Amino acid sequence: MAPKEYSFELKSDLSELDTLCQHLETFGQKIGLSKKFIFEVNLVLDELFTNIISYGFDDDCEHIIKVTMTLENKGLCLSIEDDGKPFNPVEFKTPDVSCSIEECKIGGLGIHIIRKLMDDICYERSENKNILKLKKGTAKSKC
Amino acid sequence: MEIIEEKQGGINIFKLNGRLDSNTSQGFEKKLFQAISDGSKTMVVDFKDLDYISSAGLRVILKATKAIKREDGRIMLCSMQDYVKEVFEIAGFDSFLPIVATMDDALDSF
Repeated sequence: MAPKEYSFELKSDLSELDTLCQHLETFGQKIGLSKKFIFEVNLVLDELFTNIISYGFDDDCEHIIKVTMTLENKGLCLSIEDDGKPFNPVEFKTPDVSCSIEECKIGGLGIHIIRKLMDDICYERSENKNILKLKKGTAKSKC
Repeated sequence: MEIIEEKQGGINIFKLNGRLDSNTSQGFEKKLFQAISDGSKTMVVDFKDLDYISSAGLRVILKATKAIKREDGRIMLCSMQDYVKEVFEIAGFDSFLPIVATMDDALDSF
């Protein structure tokens, strides 16, 4: 029987995006998720991971970002844990995407993409850690 | 990610192969902006072999499109795979970026 939970750790370095991709392919094949689904989950985790690396840490020390994926009856739950500065993406104001090229601002685009692709996002700060939990239904595939 | 640069009748063509994310976008940005500062006013980015793009990749495309527009030039984006195109659509970028189906469409537009 395929495992329903899959966890891995990433170091605070952008080159770890390749590791993230490999983990998702392994997990996706075991569970039998569609390529489109894996692509979208990869994108969501990439955007979150890149945000954490880019804005989360003031020091140059190595940090660990922990990712857990759990398959439930109707969907996939993601949990991302980091020990960076408090940041709540749920409250973050995303840009207006219906703008022209001149007006278009790029900040917050990653979070806009995450919200579009996930069905549910929930944030908590606990023991100096950011814990973000996201849910995506496997039956429908938004976008 | 691999970037193959070609020149065809004065048009700079960039063929992307692999994944355009925050780890690879800087290298691509450098190449695009080198071409712009070398005076290139017509560019095509070929997405045929690009399997993945994140907002970091979109950011580079947007920045280069704005920069080349200021020089009265133009950039065309062609041959996107469905998943990649969907990222442009989610971001709303498909409404103002020139995305065409094939390389021929892109070259014919100049």
